[in-house]
Amino acid sequence: MFKYKKFNFIPIFVLLTFIPIIFKGYIVFILPQYILFGVLAMSLAFIWGNAGILSFGQASFFAIGGYTFGLLIKFFPVINHFFLGSLIVIFLGFVVAVITSYFLFSAGVKATYFVLATLALSILTEQLAVTKSTLTGGWNGLFVDRINIKVGDFTLLDLSGDVNFFYLILFISLITYLILNYLENNKIGKVLRGIRENENRMLAMGYKTSFYKTVAFGVSGSVAALAGALYAAHASFISPSIAGVLFSTEVVVWVAIGGRYSLLGAFAGGIIVSFLSNYLSTITPQYWQLFLGIIFIVTIIFFKDGLAGIFKKRYERNNIK
Amino acid sequence: MEFIGISIDVFLITSTLALAAFGLAIIYGLIGVINMGHGAMLTLGAYLTWYFMSLNIPFFLCIIFSGIGVALVGIALEHFIIRKFYDRPFDTLLLTWAFFLITTEVIKIIFGTDFKNIEAPIAGAFEVFGVNIPAYRFLVCLFTIFLITISNIIFLKTDLGIKIRALIQNKEVAGLMGLDINLTYKAVFCFGSFMAGIAGGLIAPMLSIDPYMGNIYLVRSFFVVIVGGVGHLLSGTVIGSFLIGGTETLFAIFSDQVVSQASVFLLAIVLLRLRPNGIMNKKDV
Repeated sequence: MFKYKKFNFIPIFVLLTFIPIIFKGYIVFILPQYILFGVLAMSLAFIWGNAGILSFGQASFFAIGGYTFGLLIKFFPVINHFFLGSLIVIFLGFVVAVITSYFLFSAGVKATYFVLATLALSILTEQLAVTKSTLTGGWNGLFVDRINIKVGDFTLLDLSGDVNFFYLILFISLITYLILNYLENNKIGKVLRGIRENENRMLAMGYKTSFYKTVAFGVSGSVAALAGALYAAHASFISPSIAGVLFSTEVVVWVAIGGRYSLLGAFAGGIIVSFLSNYLSTITPQYWQLFLGIIFIVTIIFFKDGLAGIFKKRYERNNIK
Repeated sequence: MEFIGISIDVFLITSTLALAAFGLAIIYGLIGVINMGHGAMLTLGAYLTWYFMSLNIPFFLCIIFSGIGVALVGIALEHFIIRKFYDRPFDTLLLTWAFFLITTEVIKIIFGTDFKNIEAPIAGAFEVFGVNIPAYRFLVCLFTIFLITISNIIFLKTDLGIKIRALIQNKEVAGLMGLDINLTYKAVFCFGSFMAGIAGGLIAPMLSIDPYMGNIYLVRSFFVVIVGGVGHLLSGTVIGSFLIGGTETLFAIFSDQVVSQASVFLLAIVLLRLRPNGIMNKKDV
């Protein structure tokens, strides 16, 4: 039988692949940033959908990734090296997430308190970015040079062009999706869903739930940090607002609308909602935010599965026939 | 001399924090709704006060009016949305957060995004032991103590208080005893919103009003309530505020704002881990 779920990522990525071929100009430049927001949304959906852990701190990992990458390029030009920078960022995101979360999870802190702790993390990161202005540029933000991917002196991929960068980011987000999807469909994903449904039961069955939750949050943190690093590299700029509470909130809204139980739904939600936000906020900034808030409420009350849930229901209905 | 100055500072900040957190302590502590819209309620209270002030209504009445205004908004929120989700605390968290988003946008549309200022109704300062205390802040302090004491008396000594406590202790049995659960929930939510509105109005003259001013207090208020112990209206709120406010003041003396914020959050998180039920609650509840 053709398994819908296994291959449903193909259409969306194929669609994205064709965009630089069909369109030219601004959209090719700007779309990768929305794709990275989609990756950020996936990082949240991974823990929220599977483990039921909501984090208001995704933006802070995003910012930590962006600033670290920017500072590495700025102060260690010797490491003009995409891979090394990315690896450092992934590692850092993982470590920060594991340290914050292990401390809380191992004590069995309630999920709602965890939300507050991550909210505090966002506030701190934003303040750190604002006040350490000698390093981060304060409110003015940090400018990041665009670098090429090099192996020795040989330029592997020239990133000064928008099309190349587009495909690099698309490729990385595909890999990220496949990794997260793999984790989701294997033991850790199953254990996490067990924790979501009933943590005490999983504990009684002998699973060290705090360990699984911590690892999941670490993975989520490193994905968010990587997305942030690529964002900084692509936009050539990162500012404190990207670390803040409001941006963290936006991520939650994307995932809620896209569908918290589906990585792809969250990915699409991140791309579509952030694109619409940016587009409509130039036309009607205030009413759009209001509208988004109302959609958010309606989604939580009536469509818990978000956009992905609507597609899934349709598919199932057609299949039964 | 310096010690007296610091203690007075701690005292002022503790009471301001307690005032800001009190509405949250009521809603979260008594009916278990994680009210992420608390910050927006504070902001709304501040803006309403600013609006009534511009109509030349006396300050004291403005505060009462904005408390009532926010209480009405709170009742509407409870009636149309929150009451259907009392058994799903995590969803109420998201819904109240959406309430925050929407309220903030409405405030921006109605009042604009520029800073507003309210002049303190009582200007000047007086001197105690050679330390200047702003008269208005001192008065707010006294008023806070008054509010919390009165609320505690209502909670512990009156009929309504007994009903609320019965509700917390055992919802089903309280319902079987003929208590109107829905109405009591609504009353508590309304009272919490009222307190948030009043707090917003009272805090407004101490800083400039902008659509996100409540956010400064949201997380701190939560930490106050959690650290102090959920459900302990008087002692929990006061001790929580003292710990959070005191740490912040002390660290602010010899370091910058970020370090003091960070140490406050760190303290709160460490306390949260060691005593997940708060200082005032027994460890293994």
